[in-house]
Amino acid sequence: MERRLTLETLFEAVLTVLGAAIAAVSWSYGFGTLARPGPGLYPFCIGVATALFGAVALASRLREPARREPPLDPVARRRLALLSGIFVFWIVAMPVLGYVVVTLIAVYASAKTLELEGHVKPLAVAGGTALFIYVLFDHWLYIDLPRGMLAGG
Amino acid sequence: MEGLHLLLNGFASSFTAVNLLACFIGALIGTLVGVLPGLGPTATMALILPFTLPYGPTTGLIMMTGVWYGAMYGGSTTSILVNIPGEAASVVTCFDGYQMCRKGRAGPALALVASGSFIAGTIGLLGLQFFAPLLGNAALSFGPPEFLCFMIFAFVLLSNLSSEAPLKGALMITLGLFLSTVGINPMDSYPRFTFGSEKLMLGIDFLPIAMGLFGIAEILSIAVEKYVKPVVHQVRLRDLYPNGDEVRRSVKPMLRGSVLGFFVGLLPGPCTVISTFAAYSLEKRLSRHPEQFGHGAVEGVVAPESANNSAVMGSMVPLLTLGIPFAAPSAIMLAGLRMHNVEPGPMLFTTNPDVFWTFIAAMYVGNLMLLVLNLPLVGLFARVALIRPQILLPVISVLCLVGVYSVRNAMFDVWVMVIAGILGFFLRRWKYPVSPFIIGLVLGPTTENSLRQTLLMFQGDVAGIGDRPLAVALLALAVAFLVFRHWPWARGKGYALKMEEGKSL
Repeated sequence: MERRLTLETLFEAVLTVLGAAIAAVSWSYGFGTLARPGPGLYPFCIGVATALFGAVALASRLREPARREPPLDPVARRRLALLSGIFVFWIVAMPVLGYVVVTLIAVYASAKTLELEGHVKPLAVAGGTALFIYVLFDHWLYIDLPRGMLAGG
Repeated sequence: MEGLHLLLNGFASSFTAVNLLACFIGALIGTLVGVLPGLGPTATMALILPFTLPYGPTTGLIMMTGVWYGAMYGGSTTSILVNIPGEAASVVTCFDGYQMCRKGRAGPALALVASGSFIAGTIGLLGLQFFAPLLGNAALSFGPPEFLCFMIFAFVLLSNLSSEAPLKGALMITLGLFLSTVGINPMDSYPRFTFGSEKLMLGIDFLPIAMGLFGIAEILSIAVEKYVKPVVHQVRLRDLYPNGDEVRRSVKPMLRGSVLGFFVGLLPGPCTVISTFAAYSLEKRLSRHPEQFGHGAVEGVVAPESANNSAVMGSMVPLLTLGIPFAAPSAIMLAGLRMHNVEPGPMLFTTNPDVFWTFIAAMYVGNLMLLVLNLPLVGLFARVALIRPQILLPVISVLCLVGVYSVRNAMFDVWVMVIAGILGFFLRRWKYPVSPFIIGLVLGPTTENSLRQTLLMFQGDVAGIGDRPLAVALLALAVAFLVFRHWPWARGKGYALKMEEGKSL
């Protein structure tokens, strides 16, 4: 019987440990008494339930033959990593570069990651999105989005 | 008579420019969301929720329901014309809808689905109008023990109906419940799981989690798939007329689907999806020609589409009367109403009856609006489905990022959304249901309050619940459901034999 450590198995192990950790941390908050429950009682119950369900799920997975999801092909893995990276870039760079510049870069990069051909179309999509966000959020809804460099410092 | 009077007042309130516009925008956005891949109704409702805040609870509720409802309409268009369900509740429509399209009957299929959705919506609204105040009055006698037992009952059903593996559903519920405990506990002002972080003191907002699990995760899931350009069959307005035989065959399935969908909507879980499968299999069983199903049977198209529309209305009953959402979109609505300082539940009908009745009246209008919007514009909506993900996904991604940031001007929320999105992507691959996560997150505080109040009430003696017949009945129902679900002998010898033969019922 083939047994392999898959990401899913790892996730269930993490959930089991997380449940135990929730229960352990809740312990320190104090249970009070059943008549006057403290702040730790409810999360302790949740932690125990999470650890229990996680452990049962993990045990049943380890008992059954390995049933792996077809792995992501290299193109899909690359797209997943790049898109996640673009999201992180947007978050980190937005306060510095401002929402307009970051949106232009993020949309262009996402479109290229998804293999939108040429440069004109990705640039047009990026420009259109930045304009739409400006009109909707900034101009119409008065939401204070970081302008970064555009604010003049 | 009082109900009629309140409904008339509701119509008077709903006929304001703002409410009508909210209804129209919600229905239009919902239809587009139903047609387009990338954002489902849940993520869209989470995205537009902050924009509804300046306009009050009724307008917000109307707009969000319009989105959910419109998505049910829109999803059928691509199912029939492109064989691609715009969202999960339209998967069943593909079975026979696309086959009708291949036989040149796409127009009648679309017309009958739109009419069926309209009839189902009206029946669902009548059901909501009738059952909600009734249940609301009954729920006035609910105390903390009844609410606690109802939560347990709901969680048992939710974990079992949301996924093939109930353990996965249960794990998602507990994760959601855990996240709801992060921050300062309002009952005793005690900070939990904050680890000294000021950002965590405020708790983890449900909006970034919902946007991540339903929006970003969907974007990533579509991005890693190979894109195949769909072939859209064009339909003109004059092609929409069904023939007499199609109309005759559709009437009873529409009515059956509507009634069935409404009652499935009352159950926890992905009610709109379950209702379509239930309606389809019911029609197949009742049909004199079950062999036609899967080859373009009109009953297999109209019944599921009617069911998913009335299920939306059915799921509003527990939300509005008990304040307990049974599906992810209604969890968003609950959170939205709370943001508007309206607490749905038994008291809604006494404290904010105008919210309920204006909502009912506006949905009658919205239902009509969707019919008028969908039939003439069906060709346009079908063409929208041709927008390539290479263009659509980058735009939606940035809209999600900016949308979540704009709620509290907090980059922390955007981090939460992105992490939830990446987690959601893997959860989908591993077939973990994400709706229970959101429902657990939204219901967490209510569950904790009910538990602690129950313990206080009985001075720590949980056996006191035995003196509350309704609470006992709810617990008994939960146990009975578990026994029925997991022990085949409880369903009779025939079932056990079939299971042994590997036949699924």
